[in-house]
Amino acid sequence: MGTIFSRGDHFLVTESKSKNGYAALLSKGEIANASVPTVCNIQCLGELNEGDIVQIEPNGMVNVLYEAQSPHNVLMLTERCNSSCIMCPQPKVAAEQDKTPLNLKLISWMDKKTRSLGLTGGEPTLLGDKLVDILLACKKTLPKTALNLLTNAIRFEDLAYAQKIAAIGHPDLMIDVPLYGATDTEHNEIVGSNSFYKTIRGLYNLAFFRQKIGIRVVIHKANYKRLPQLAEFIYRNFPFVFHIAFMQMEPTGLARKNIEQLWIDPYDYNAELKEAVDSLFDRNMNVSIYNTQLCVLPVSLRKFAKQSISSWKNIYIDECSDCAVRQQCAGFFESSRDLHSTHIKATGADHRAVACLSQKT
Amino acid sequence: MPESDFDRLINYQISPKENAFLDLKAKQIVTDTDPAPVIDMLSVKYRTKKSFLDHFTSLHMVVPTLRCNSNCRYCQVSRKDPEASGCDMNKKTAKKIVDLIFCSPSAFIKIEIQGGEALLNFEMVKYIFEYAEWLNIFKKKHLEFVVCTNLTLINRNILKYFKEHHIYVSTSLDGYKDLHNKNRPLQNTDNSYDVFQSNLALCREHLGNDGVSALMTTSKSSLGHFREIIDEYIKHGFSSIFLRSLNPFGFAKQYRDDVGYGVDEFLENYIEALDYILEINLNGRYFVELSATLFLRRILTPFSTGFVDLQSPAGTAINGVIYNYDGNVYVSDEARMLASMGDNKFLMGNVHKKSYRELFDSDFLHTLIGTSCVEFLPDCCDCAFQSYCGADPVRNYSEQGDIVGDRTTSEFCKKNKTIISHLLKLIRKNDEHINKVFWAWINRQPELLKVAQKQL
Repeated sequence: MGTIFSRGDHFLVTESKSKNGYAALLSKGEIANASVPTVCNIQCLGELNEGDIVQIEPNGMVNVLYEAQSPHNVLMLTERCNSSCIMCPQPKVAAEQDKTPLNLKLISWMDKKTRSLGLTGGEPTLLGDKLVDILLACKKTLPKTALNLLTNAIRFEDLAYAQKIAAIGHPDLMIDVPLYGATDTEHNEIVGSNSFYKTIRGLYNLAFFRQKIGIRVVIHKANYKRLPQLAEFIYRNFPFVFHIAFMQMEPTGLARKNIEQLWIDPYDYNAELKEAVDSLFDRNMNVSIYNTQLCVLPVSLRKFAKQSISSWKNIYIDECSDCAVRQQCAGFFESSRDLHSTHIKATGADHRAVACLSQKT
Repeated sequence: MPESDFDRLINYQISPKENAFLDLKAKQIVTDTDPAPVIDMLSVKYRTKKSFLDHFTSLHMVVPTLRCNSNCRYCQVSRKDPEASGCDMNKKTAKKIVDLIFCSPSAFIKIEIQGGEALLNFEMVKYIFEYAEWLNIFKKKHLEFVVCTNLTLINRNILKYFKEHHIYVSTSLDGYKDLHNKNRPLQNTDNSYDVFQSNLALCREHLGNDGVSALMTTSKSSLGHFREIIDEYIKHGFSSIFLRSLNPFGFAKQYRDDVGYGVDEFLENYIEALDYILEINLNGRYFVELSATLFLRRILTPFSTGFVDLQSPAGTAINGVIYNYDGNVYVSDEARMLASMGDNKFLMGNVHKKSYRELFDSDFLHTLIGTSCVEFLPDCCDCAFQSYCGADPVRNYSEQGDIVGDRTTSEFCKKNKTIISHLLKLIRKNDEHINKVFWAWINRQPELLKVAQKQL
């Protein structure tokens, strides 16, 4: 199916021949006498597909910003943040150039068939009204794309701001909010600010406007012990949330810096995780386990595991090469290559473990 | 909470970083930081628990006739013979009643027809439902229709009609054959059980399994036989039972020696039955006890529940109301029974003489509701089970002489306290299989039992 496009808006990926009219050329080989910016001798060029969006830096670095075939596309809205989570994988900046114009351009270039798009940061709500602009742009040019906004909801303490987001009327927007403890004592310690009750007020305000809300819980040494209490707290106070995700920690950025305080073999918190997940599941809540290797989980929890790691940082280790359930397993973060559970073990074509996966709810 | 922790807590010796303290803080019982946001959260939950008030009157019971072809030993509705006259609703009254029903601001309206034996006046039953459907074209409320019947007069035409108009059937099954026949003989035969059985099958054929539900009433003869009663329900393919104790109203008071019993006897049987039902579920079969489920919903979920007889403020008139064949309106079914014995204390008025406001916004009702909140009733106000319980001023008046009542001698209070205690004991076990059974009941999810089974 051909679509009419303007060459001047596109980069051409080519073996060696130069063609006129394109904004830039990317090549595996050499290209001589190009009249537009050209990057040569690129490896892994075969990983790019029609519709992908890349950014070429002056030094020749090619950043892949968007992959049309991927289910894991994410827009970085800002690197500023009003929290200081001790396990943050994305260290924040104090000031930055506004990323919104670039992001709006990206949205306009994205394939309309893009199934889902993450909106993250930093803290997206620090954009204020610009966040509304971004959401409106998505609604207009990517009407069939499901959006997943990651936010600490602190700014939604302001009812008027929550209303602005709701008023957009996006057909498929999920707002995911992290919660790390059932009390301010526990939660504030982890997020490095006195924001527990603000986040809660934010959750209430979003719920008031019937927004689709998810709660995310990253698990580590500082909060695993009271996971069951957190699960009960979520049910009792936020029974309206659409989804709860329990996530294995990504040991990069600040998390790596604070690793002494944070690291626990995920296998060692299985008891607490099981109690938390089971209690929410019994209460008919929608629960998932993210970023967790199947072999680390008890058999009864494997049906909750999702393949949640963005493809560009998703790896498997040597032990996984013979695993019968590798296809369904989330695998690891790139940063977990040297730091992961000691219980990783390939699953043989063993009936029980494999069969239970085919019963995924 | 262990007593040692409790002592330290009330003496301010507990550290706010301890698990015992954090557990209470997570439940908004204590805090060591600014209380304002905690109270905020509590108010959201409190408002949620009381949201049954938002709907105002949603349950409307209508009695089209007092005539009945049954001869139940504990009958409380002063039924009349099938050929009696002067106790049927006429069209003028029925129309007025349905008009008033639609004056309720509630978006959900459940019209439940009872009697006597309602089907003895099937013409009026049809009129009421059809006029309601007509009005609802304009009012656009969510309507639910129920007919309470002994099933004796059910036939295919009636069932076709029920199916067409989405009418649910509620019937009575007191237990196995001998017991059911003993409690609920018909006027023209002693074998009401056989009639019931074949008509139940006919009902199911047309309305499906879920189109018919049954409840049981406990008489003296039922005591000691709850297991068999439950087996009978399972045999007939019911997936739930409501183990109801007898209200000491109406005819029953006169036959107290014959059918009556004390609350202790009932409780002994109830607890044993509940344990039996739990065992049935733990063995993989989904079967719900509905009164326990009501309490479980109140204890384990943050949500409001709609049981009119046990609310605070009392559900009298503001949750559920009853319209008699003559147009008299009463605050509850029990209130109507009192009236049939000559005491009109809880008569709100007559549909032909009073407007909606005069009926539902009267000083009488304000006083009644205003006196019926567990939050300030004597003893209830200090009770640890307050948030799970409710007030029943009509029962207080009938059993003890005034609407406030005296908890120290109240059988109603004793019954609720005992059942709640027993359920709390089971919850405290934190047994993952029992938990799954409770949640399967609360959320109506039989599949949850299968998950429990697989993991065993």
